[in-house]
Parts: sequence; structure tokens; C-alpha cells
Amino acid sequence: MSMEDYDFLFKIVLIGNAGVGKTCLVRRFTQGLFPPGQGATIGVDFMIKTVEINGEKVKLQIWDTAGQERFRSITQSYYRSANALILTYDITCEESFRCLPEWLREIEQYASNKVITVLVGNKIDLADRREVSQQRAAEFSEAQDMYYLETSAKESDNVEKLFLDLACRLINEARQNTLVNNVASPLPGEGKSISYLTCCLSIVGKGYASLMSNVSSHFMDLGKATQEKELNHHQF
Amino acid sequence: MERIRALTDLRELEAAYGRLCAEEKVVEEELEALLEQQGTIENKMVALHRMGPNLQLIEGDARQLAGMITFTWNLAENVSSKVRQLDLAKNRLYQAIQRADDILDLKFCMDGVQTALRNEDYEQAAAHIHRYLSLDKSVIELSRQGKEGSIIDANLKLLQEAEQRLKTIVTEKFDLAMKQGDLPQVERFFKIFPLLGLHEEGLSKFSEYLCKQVANKAEENLLLVMGTDMSDRRAAVIFADTLTLLFEGIARIVETHQPIVETYYGLGRLYTLIKHLQVECDRQVEKVVDKFIKQRDYHRQFQQVQNSMMRSSATEKIEPRELDPILTEVTLMNARSELYLRFIKRRIISDFEVGDSMASEEVKQEHQKYLDKLLNNCLLSRTMQELIGYYITMEEYFMRETVNKAVAMDTYEKGQLISSMVDDVFYIVKKCIGRALSSSSIDCLCAMINHSTTELESDFREVLYNKLKLGFPATTFQDFQRGVTSAVNIMHSSLQQGKFDTKGIESTDEAKQSFLVTLNNVEVCSENIMTLKKTLESDCSKLLSQGFGGEQAQAKIDSCLSDMAAVSNKFRDLLQEGLNELNSSAIKPQVKPWINLFLSVSHNIEEEEFNDYEANDPWVQQFIVNLEQQMAEFKSGLSPVIYDSLTSLMTSLVAIELEKVVLKSTFSRLGGLQFDKELRSLIAYLTTVTTWTIRDKFARLSQMATILNLERVTEILDYWGPNSGPLTWRLTPAEVRQVLALRIDFRSEDIKRLRL
Repeated sequence: MSMEDYDFLFKIVLIGNAGVGKTCLVRRFTQGLFPPGQGATIGVDFMIKTVEINGEKVKLQIWDTAGQERFRSITQSYYRSANALILTYDITCEESFRCLPEWLREIEQYASNKVITVLVGNKIDLADRREVSQQRAAEFSEAQDMYYLETSAKESDNVEKLFLDLACRLINEARQNTLVNNVASPLPGEGKSISYLTCCLSIVGKGYASLMSNVSSHFMDLGKATQEKELNHHQF
Repeated sequence: MERIRALTDLRELEAAYGRLCAEEKVVEEELEALLEQQGTIENKMVALHRMGPNLQLIEGDARQLAGMITFTWNLAENVSSKVRQLDLAKNRLYQAIQRADDILDLKFCMDGVQTALRNEDYEQAAAHIHRYLSLDKSVIELSRQGKEGSIIDANLKLLQEAEQRLKTIVTEKFDLAMKQGDLPQVERFFKIFPLLGLHEEGLSKFSEYLCKQVANKAEENLLLVMGTDMSDRRAAVIFADTLTLLFEGIARIVETHQPIVETYYGLGRLYTLIKHLQVECDRQVEKVVDKFIKQRDYHRQFQQVQNSMMRSSATEKIEPRELDPILTEVTLMNARSELYLRFIKRRIISDFEVGDSMASEEVKQEHQKYLDKLLNNCLLSRTMQELIGYYITMEEYFMRETVNKAVAMDTYEKGQLISSMVDDVFYIVKKCIGRALSSSSIDCLCAMINHSTTELESDFREVLYNKLKLGFPATTFQDFQRGVTSAVNIMHSSLQQGKFDTKGIESTDEAKQSFLVTLNNVEVCSENIMTLKKTLESDCSKLLSQGFGGEQAQAKIDSCLSDMAAVSNKFRDLLQEGLNELNSSAIKPQVKPWINLFLSVSHNIEEEEFNDYEANDPWVQQFIVNLEQQMAEFKSGLSPVIYDSLTSLMTSLVAIELEKVVLKSTFSRLGGLQFDKELRSLIAYLTTVTTWTIRDKFARLSQMATILNLERVTEILDYWGPNSGPLTWRLTPAEVRQVLALRIDFRSEDIKRLRL
């Protein structure tokens, strides 16, 4: 593996209700295709795309999961090793938006606490059938401390941006993590708390983590990295 | 000329004259050359004149030839147009014969059908109808327009009636045969349908018959299941067996009837047959799975597992061992389904392939889509996916709980390097992944690999980490403070285990042993993970080579396995942490005082003391004995690899500490020699206990000994700079001066004067 030609390797897992367009987002990004009449995903699909960001080769392993309930136990097993989760809903489907808290609970339960979560409202090409307003989604994502973006896999709107911005963030996060690890002694395990009640607590925890990374970014000898981070804040 | 006249200057005139002369010469030469050619040209002219009459002859000949060609062309055109006419006539004749034949056939069919129907020779009748149906419609039109139009019209009507009658009769007879379960009759009429252009109906009727057979057999089997004695050898997998029988039955039907379908219905029709059969298959699968869920209490068990995973309370926790049989059965059920689905997939693909060999790309893709839809959307697939979904959660629970049990029941036998839980845990993990693998579902396998990675990385590693965190207790007389903390740790851990051990010293020994065993455990874990990965790789490649899994199966498995392999490194890191802890808490506190004893042995000595040291070694022998005793404890308690790493850490420690005390001592000439001897014995000893070279670690000390052994200060220059030869100095010039200053007989001015 180490012989392969890349500087970073990240795992990105797409989750969300069935039929919100996860597979189409992945296809659009990795193959530039929009396959009409895409059948439901069985289990998980796996795609790889290597992109170059600021001269660094970033290999993105994209796991496209099935939204249907019966595959839940398969998809859940991928949360933990994910560097980023793309939580997708369909802007023309109120139900897919209403299920988001349930998905967040799953993330809480199974994912690493360092995971980056992005909220994506797909299918903006069907704006006339919109059921979930941009403002509502923005408020929700803010309350949950998530990045938020609206996309159209069909029109290829914001799809590149979604993955590339995410890759940028992951690079910064990875740099800061190695720094934090060098400062503090590494702790075993991820200290993952399994409980439904720790929802707000863990947001505090996440806040702390981002505080830590902010602090550590001050230690970075390159001001460039900090700038990039700020840039990313704007991008999202 | 004007210009020449204008010339007045003599020189210019001469120059002009000269030029003119030169020009004249050139012109003359040219003229001569032309004159020379005159002869040849005249010759050629003569020859041309001679050719004149010949040309006239040729012209005449050519004209004649042209006339001949035109004539021939006309002739040929004449002939060929006649041939064409003949050809046309011949073709029309053939067509006429064909039509006459067709009309005769039609008549023959009309008569034949009636007779055949009267004789109940349905095959013959159908053959006649088939002939009629395959006739050119224009022929029929034509024959109507003939003289006998009205008769033929009437006959045609009869024929059409006969066709309808035959269709009804065949359908009726087929239904009757089906009701009576008369296979030869069923097959007889099945073969007639395509002759009447009723391919779809025939296949669907025949499938109906086959489905009924499947259903009957399945019901029989299910009744047998319900009556199975629980003590039966196959009782634990009876539902998997029932599914197997169902699938085998359908496979056999496909196998037996594929040739008939191919022969009488043509290629590419198998899909239709299987699509019909799949409906019945789904119906039967549903029944079997329903019974399975009811009888095995599958959903309740899943619910219970889910509850205990969420609340993590001890109340009503389901015993993992109870899940064992049902987990095995579910994976077996899925494996059978995958096998069956793969079978029909292959059959349909190869049938389509032959049937579509001439078809366009679009048709091929369309057919592929049909197939995917059939395989993915059939109830069998969905039901199995659901069962496997529950299975994964339950298997994860089984693994976690059993691992917890193995950890709780951890025992250590004297003489063993590792304790029981390592083997137990890996046995469990292997078993769980192996079971997932046996389901033949790649997604199920990957999910269990992921869960195992999590289990090993967080839960099990945490267990080992916590054991290492207790530390290696120092022996009481060595480091009082450490002793206290470790005693507290021991108390703490014993309290946690619910028993308080008052036997202080013994528990210290136990804690020591526990630490060493844990180190061994960590190392074996790291190795076992790599072994597990390799084993799984080869197992998976076997599965993939049998054609299970989609195109990405290999990539998915590789990714999941490489995540698992990464955990091995985490265990290595933990081992390193543990070794550092051992080195600093157990070795350093002991070794440091022993080395400090060096300070109490004067190295500012004369001949007499030197000789005395020779007889009664003042330090190094005892130090070596102490080291040996100290390390013996670890050598027996640690695996060779870890022991090696530990001795490496220990030798580094010795080198660093010894350097410190040397720099605090003073030396005479003989004292330097004494130190050199001591260092040599020490290095000789340490070389015997380590597998790799330690010269490098002691390079600085050896160089210090060299300096302390010098006769004069300036002698250093024999070894320094350009004179250093193969020797690479590890000491800086400042350090060299510092070491030189340790010699009491070296004057500081001499040292200062040195140019290094």
C-alpha cells in the first residue's frame, strides 16, 4: 500500500434514505455519469478516485451504501473507519429530511468522534418540487455542527465542490491530528461512548476537538495551512 | 551602344572592350555547339519524314478497330439484354412455381388440418397451421384474387377456424394433462404451442405446470420439517436443508427442460421460463423462511440482542452460545441461496448470449437489465438480505460477548509465555469471520471483517492497554515511591476484580508476571492479526474464484482487510510503549545504582591498586552478574523477540548511564587502562546477550576509553582529523577536551593548546 502513488488516503461513506441519489452523486463524481433509472444499491458499492489538491495526490475511497433498512447492519460496519460521512437527503422529499436525526443517532453510535459530517441536499434540478427549504436545512446543519451543501447529480451542480472541499478539510484535519498526536501522548482506542443520551455531550466533545485543532493550528509552522482552513470555512 | 559612345575615359573603354571580347567568345562557343548539333537534327528530320506514310496506315487501322469494337458492343448488349430477360422470366417462373406450391400447400394445409383434427393428430394439425402461418401473406391475398377466389376464401376461413379451434383444443388438453399430472401429454402440447405462434403462452402454461410440481414437493418437504425430531442429526440446519431441496428441485427442472425449450422455442427463452419459476420459488422461500423465523424465534432473539447491545445492562442478556446454531443455519441458508442465484444467473446469461449473438447492443443491455432486475428484486434476494442484516448484528454481539468471556476467563499457565485469552479471542474472531465467509455474501463478510477490526482495535486492545497501564511493579527495596504506587495499583486492580489479595509480595510477583504476559500477548496479537489477514485473503480468493460477488468484491475485501492489518501496527505501538515502561520502571531503577557504584571505585590509581583490582575486580564483574540476574527474569518471561528489544533498550540505557558516571570520575594513566579493561569485559558480555551488534551503542564510550588511555595529551592528534583512519569520531572536539581533562596527569594548558 505504501508503495502506491498518493499522499493521503481518505475513506468517505455516503449515507441517507433510499432513493435520495447517493449512487448518482458518486457516479457523477467518479465517472462523470448520470445513469438514469439507477436501481437500488445492494449492500455497499465501492469507488476510488484520486484527485490532486494543491499539488498533493489524494486518494478518495468512496463507499456508497444502500439506503434500504435491511442493509443497515452492513452499512453501519463502515462508519467507524470513515474519515468523512456525507449525509444525503432529497430536497423534494420531506421524509428523507425528517429522517436525518435518526441518521445522526447512528453516526453518534457507530462513527469515530473525529469524523467529519457533511449534510447534502440533492436533486436541486427539481427545484419546482422542493419540499425542504434551504433555510430549514441550513438551520438544522448549523445546530448539528455540520457543513451543508445543496447539489444536483443530474446537472452536476456542486458535486465536484462537495468532494474536493471535503478532501481539503480532510487534509487539514489529518495534518493537525499528527500534530496533536505528537504533542499529547496517543490514547488507546477512540474513546467512543456508546449511548443514545450523549448526543449533546458529544457535540460538546466535538466542539472541544475542533478547539484543539484550532489551537494546534497556531502551532503550525506554516501559516498557509491555517489560511487553507479558513478558506475552507468559506467554501462550505 | 549609346553607353559605349558616351565612354571617354581610356580605362573605361578598355574595360568595355575586354567585356565585349569575352562576350564574343562566349557567343562563338555557343554557336559552335549549335552547329555541331545540326547533323543529328537533320538525321532526325529524315527519319521523321520516313515515318509519315506509316502514320496514315495506323490511322486507318485504328478506325477499322473502332468500328469492330462498336459492332461487338452492340452485339453483346443485344445478347445480355436477352439473357436478362431470360433471367427475369426464370425468376418469375420460380415465383410462380413457389406461389403455386404455396397455394397448393395452403390447400393441402386446409385439407390436412381438417383430417388431422378429425384424427386428433394435433402435431400434424399444428404443423399445418405452422406452415400456413409461415406463408407469405401476399400469397394468400393472391390466391384469393384467383379464379377460384371464392373457394379459397371459404377454405381460408375454415383454416382460420381450424387454427382457433386447435389453439383452444391444445390449451384445453394441456390444462387437462396438467391437472392429471400427465407429463408426456404436458410435454406433447407444450411442443405444439410454438407451432401456433404461442411462445409466451406455452412457456407460461408449462411454467405453471412446473411451478405446481415445485409447490407440491416443497409442501411435502415443509411437512417433513415440521415433523423432524429435534434429535435428528440435521435438525439444527433443517431449514437450510429445506431451502437446499427447493433450490435443487428447481435447478433440476431447469436442467431437464432447458433442451425442450431450446429445441421447440428457440434460444433466449430460458429467461421467461425461469422468471415464472422464480415466482413460485419466492412463494416457497417465503413459507420456509416464515416457518424458520417462527420456529427458531429469530426476530425475538434479534430483538433481545439489540436490546442488550443498547442498554449494555446485565439484565436478561442473551447467552451468546445460544445464538451459535442459528447463526450457522442462517449463513448456510444464504450460501444455498447465493449458489442457486448464481446457477440461474449463469444459465440465463449463457442462453441470452447465444440467443443475442446477432442482436444489437441495446437489446443485449435490455436483457442484462431484465436479468439484474430478476436477481435483485426477487423476494428470495430480499428475504435473504433481511436475514443476513439481522445475522450481522447478532454475530457481532456473539463475537463481542464471547470475547468478553474469554477475557474474563483469562488464565495463565506457568511456563507459557502468553495467557489463554489471546488464542481464545483469535479463535472467536476467526470463527465469526469464517462463518460470515461461509454465507458467500461479500457484503456480509466485509461487515464482519469491519466489526472484528473494531473489536480488536478498541475493545480488546483496551483490555491489554489497561493491564499494561498498571505498570511493572518495582521491587520494594529499590524504589520506595514506585513500590507504593504499584502497590496501590495492585490493590486497585484486585478491588476491581472483586477480590482483595492480602499477600503483598505474591501479588507483586503476580503483577510482574501479568505485565510480562501482557507484553507477550500484545506481540502475539500483532502477529496473529497479520496471520488472520493472510488466511482470510486466501479464503476470499477461493470464494471469488468460484464466481461469487460482483466486480468490486475484490476491492472491497482488500480495503477491509487492509484496515484490519493496520490494527496490527497499533498493537506494535502498544508493545513499544510497554517495553519503554518496563525499561524505565524495572530496569532503569536497578541498573542506575549499579552503574553509580562505578563512582565509588577510584580510577585514580597506582600500580599496586591496579594489580589489586586485577585480583579482586572492584565493579564490572559484579555489575555483569547483577545484569545477568536482572535480565534472566525477563528472558524466561518474555518471548525472544520482545526480550531482544528489551535488551536493546537496556544496552542503550547502560551506555548512556555509564557515560554519565565516567564524566564524573577522574582517572590516572592506569585508571584509564582499568576503565578500558572494564569496558571491554562489559561489551564482551553484552555482545553475548544480544543478537545484534552493540558496538555502535558503545562507540562513544570506547572512544572515551581510548582518550583516557593516552600517554600524552598530544597523542590524541595521532587519532584525530587526517590521522583518524577508519575511525569515525562520535565525540565533538569539546567532548574530547572534556574527557582529556578527566585525566589528572594531563595539564589543562596542554589540553587548551590542542588544535582539534
